[in-house]
Amino acid sequence: MSFLSAGTLRFLAGRLGQAVIQVLGVVTIVFILLRLTGDPAALLVPQQATAEDIARVREQLGLDQPIWIQYLDYLGGLLRFDFGYSFIQNRPALTLIGERLPFTVDLALAALVLSVAVGVPVGIISAVYRKRIAGRVLMPVVLVGQSMPAFWLGLLLILIFSVNLRWLPATGVDGVTSLILPAVTLASLSFATIARITRSSFLEQLSADYVRTARSHGAGTGRVLFGHVLRNASIPVVTLVGLEIASLLGGAVITETIFAWPGIGQLTVQSIQANDFPVVQAIVLLVAIVYIAANLVTDILYSVIDPRVRLTAGK
Amino acid sequence: MTSEQGLRPTPPSIPDATPAPRPPRKRRLPRLRDFRSALPFVVILGIYIVVALVPALFVGSVDVAAELSDRLLPPGSVTDTGTHFLGTDQLGRDVLNRLVFGTRVSLTIAVSAVVFAGLVGTTLGVIAGTYRGALGALIMRLADVVLSVPFFLLAILTVVALGPSLVNVVICLALVRWPRYTRVAYGQTLEAGGKEFVTSATAIGATKLWVVLRHVVPEVLPSVIVVATLELGTMVLYEASLSFIGLGVQPPTPSWGAMLSDGRAYIGTAWWLTTFPGLALFVLVLSVNLLGDFVRDRLDPSEQALRQ
Amino acid sequence: MPTPATPALALQPRAHVPRGPKRVIRRLLSTGSMAAAGAVLVAGCSLSSGVPSTSGEGSGPVADASITIDLSNYPSTLDPALQYDESTYSVYRNIYDQLLRRDPKTLEPTPWIATEWENTSPTEWTFTIRDDVTFSDGTPLTASDVAFSISRILDPALNSAQFANFSAIASAEATSPTELKVTTKAPSPTLLTYLTTLSIVPQAYVEEVGAEGLNSAPVGSGPYTLEAATAGSEVRLTRNDSWWSDAPSIEDVVFRSVPDASARLADLQSGTATLALGLTADQAIQLESGTDVEVLSAPTERVAYLGLNALGDTATSDPDIREAIKLAIDYDSIIDNLLGGYASPVGTILTPLAFGYPDGTSDNEYDPDRAKALIEQSGIQDPELVFPSSPSYDPQIIQAIQSDLEAVGFSVSIENSDQATYLKKVQSPAHDWGSLRFGLWSCSCLDADGVLYPLFRTDTIWSSWSDPDFDALVDHARTTLDEDERVADYEQAVSIVSEQTPGIGLYQVDAIYGAAPELDWTPDAVQSLFVDQMSLGG
Repeated sequence: MSFLSAGTLRFLAGRLGQAVIQVLGVVTIVFILLRLTGDPAALLVPQQATAEDIARVREQLGLDQPIWIQYLDYLGGLLRFDFGYSFIQNRPALTLIGERLPFTVDLALAALVLSVAVGVPVGIISAVYRKRIAGRVLMPVVLVGQSMPAFWLGLLLILIFSVNLRWLPATGVDGVTSLILPAVTLASLSFATIARITRSSFLEQLSADYVRTARSHGAGTGRVLFGHVLRNASIPVVTLVGLEIASLLGGAVITETIFAWPGIGQLTVQSIQANDFPVVQAIVLLVAIVYIAANLVTDILYSVIDPRVRLTAGK
Repeated sequence: MTSEQGLRPTPPSIPDATPAPRPPRKRRLPRLRDFRSALPFVVILGIYIVVALVPALFVGSVDVAAELSDRLLPPGSVTDTGTHFLGTDQLGRDVLNRLVFGTRVSLTIAVSAVVFAGLVGTTLGVIAGTYRGALGALIMRLADVVLSVPFFLLAILTVVALGPSLVNVVICLALVRWPRYTRVAYGQTLEAGGKEFVTSATAIGATKLWVVLRHVVPEVLPSVIVVATLELGTMVLYEASLSFIGLGVQPPTPSWGAMLSDGRAYIGTAWWLTTFPGLALFVLVLSVNLLGDFVRDRLDPSEQALRQ
Repeated sequence: MPTPATPALALQPRAHVPRGPKRVIRRLLSTGSMAAAGAVLVAGCSLSSGVPSTSGEGSGPVADASITIDLSNYPSTLDPALQYDESTYSVYRNIYDQLLRRDPKTLEPTPWIATEWENTSPTEWTFTIRDDVTFSDGTPLTASDVAFSISRILDPALNSAQFANFSAIASAEATSPTELKVTTKAPSPTLLTYLTTLSIVPQAYVEEVGAEGLNSAPVGSGPYTLEAATAGSEVRLTRNDSWWSDAPSIEDVVFRSVPDASARLADLQSGTATLALGLTADQAIQLESGTDVEVLSAPTERVAYLGLNALGDTATSDPDIREAIKLAIDYDSIIDNLLGGYASPVGTILTPLAFGYPDGTSDNEYDPDRAKALIEQSGIQDPELVFPSSPSYDPQIIQAIQSDLEAVGFSVSIENSDQATYLKKVQSPAHDWGSLRFGLWSCSCLDADGVLYPLFRTDTIWSSWSDPDFDALVDHARTTLDEDERVADYEQAVSIVSEQTPGIGLYQVDAIYGAAPELDWTPDAVQSLFVDQMSLGG
């Protein structure tokens, strides 16, 4: 198969190597930046502690050693799949993340589905009907989602649906009903982006030669749209969705905090504020891997779809 | 020509292939009468800029003194200091006054961050697209690295390292956002590189730099502008997040971001604390975005074709 | 494929436009919404856990009731020897018994697991331990478990945050199953008060499963046992029917972690939560006006204070400036307007609840004119103050203080940073952290020793002041058991602090809770949260 040509393999190997270096780069930057900030030892001792107590804690956590030694220890640990122990809870960082990750995945998936289910049709409508009122009004509405602070929408939804109407719970994890408000809040951001890119992607395709040709041959607009335009327009949308997953996983901080959703977004902000280095590093590593992997996969997909990319790789 | 092309994965090199079918001509420069339908947004933006430059014209001097007995008064309340058209905040200061003075701070931060990030990011993206190879790969991978660190973390660490101040907030925001422009610029540079007028210019011996400046940059700009317009509102919201963790502009300096984060606890009661900065932000973002779309539409030949 | 010559063909005749796109869009919408609903259902199925309902209508306490308590954080551990922040101890102190409890009215240590005690020598105490207590795994609680619980905290390998609270203890040993001997390094007047926070763990079990095992499967002798825990979200406790004391009225309690204060309020208003901790004064005011959620509050021993830098290169090294700062702050305005009355004025850095509080201390004065005069007297033109802070402290209070100080002629610049950097800054022995800092201090000991010593004695991490007389006084008061001597020492120490103003007490903090009206419970000054003291429908 021509797909597995030497050029392709070289391309893939190159990208994989770059991906590994990228992940390493992210982790190193975060590692250094964390140690440039305040010292977690002071946060881990009670108020009556003495300077000796703080020094003892610092030594116990290995923070009194030079940075490069700490870094080498950390890398060595990574090679053994040891991601460190949380300073606060004294449990493996990976365990903590493992406990919280499913909740974020649930929330991110729900938000993603919602924003695609709403964003794509909105994007299509505003592209197809761009001259009519429907199309022109939709874009400002979409912009509301992008210019409104997430906490505003979240707290507003809580006020309306939990406190006043009592239809939905405000906080906590308790079945499908508790997922609705946080998912809507989280979706409000990405739905706008998806709508915009769907719209512009559609516009691009609508002006393309092959569309004009198909129409000039008498094909109905519906068939043109569904058959060709949708397929081609969906490429950037799909790649965007892939990237959004990664950003949803690492983000959703505000949404999770407001709705008391026990995901890794909440864990991230709590760990950063408590200077719980091992947990922060583990989360960053995880998100970086997911993000860079998503990038890599979409690059590969892109190269599969567009042969020019493959054939000219490595030049 | 998609404005959100930066959100695609950066396409690996496509050196000589022609991109998707396009009308093979350059843009025509927009004529003045084309801007008629953009006029309302230009006016709105003009108002914002004037308010930002000379706030004292509208509301006198900035209200920074706390007046605790006048806390959380609803819009329209009258006190010794006058009528509070938009109410008072949690320390008794006039909301309208702080909104107007906050315009300067927030607009400065947002515009500076966007300009800074845009210049740096676009330049890097054009360089990466022009001088492909090790340098290009390095730039793009660096962009990916920055994109994969969570904003919250990068923001805190930057501000902690530099200290909270208006300048450092701008630096922090720019550091976090420049990769978005790089990706867009890179993609557009690659597409432009395959166009006829570029290859023909190179063929007649023009230097790469001249080609880049004369031909590539005008191709890149429209998409970058659209990204920049999207980013403006986001920058103000990010400043609000920084203020919420205490690392934005320091009190008592007013900014929309600080007002939004301070008012968060009062959404159910003193709704005016968040609603008015939110509205100001929304109108700004709307105007900038629609104006950006408008500019992009006018400069994009495929759109021009659609319009005929 | 050749490009069509006439671009006009790109436009379809109007008649064709409506049908196609609409059908496409409708198809997309229906597929999309089905997909969305499907995904949401699938995701939701894995999340069901069921919320216990708050029962409790009618007269008289309801037996076997369930309640839900909203905390501001998830408990960081269920091992009672480690952290002891409110969200954490509120949960584990219901699973374990403590050696002593406090009398709700007098707040004095009262018998609990220890029925009586004797001070056999200045550094030796003998406690008599109950013999009718069993842990939830059936093993009896003996004095050696108590000794083990103490030694564990003192073991450096455990890295306990409570080490400093018990560091006065040299050793603890069980001389019989019902007798415990505690030896202190020096006479310790605060030993009993800290022992009210000592939770007792089963020695055999802990030696078998280790600290991590204790955290994930706690075994205590207390009124409740762990039923289930969802990491980061909630902890469920259920009544221990073999508890040695009076059976609690509440059968099930769910502690939920809800970090956002507005969300906690929403839970109260929507009836999801029976009790919520950590409400702000503004929220209390909102609840009081027209909701049926009740506000419960109690003055605590927590004091809000300003620490001044007397040793650094800053305006506050001048005692007149420090005194001027004390006079420039409008305490009543802060208490009435910002705190809605949920605070009380103080005249020192101690609250009246602390042992050693000099009776008859008058509240701080607010006198901006005298403050201005003092600034002039100091000779410093346009004094500048640097005010470091972090998001842990209420920005409204910080800004109100800034505003008061600027009104008398200071120029105050606030420098926010994250908490870790802030602590590093203000605890630095170089005393270069600025001029004044805000703090909330509570030692959970109800004793002046826990406040004055760490805050003002020379060379502690918090002190940016030095006075040898003060040092002598607090050193002495810390190591004598004679109450009269201690009272005299602290009276003198407090008057030195009043003169030299290394710190200013701003107000005594009330703890504010929101509760469903059917909850019958009274909060106390040490913010204990014993579910066995609660009932519904009373």
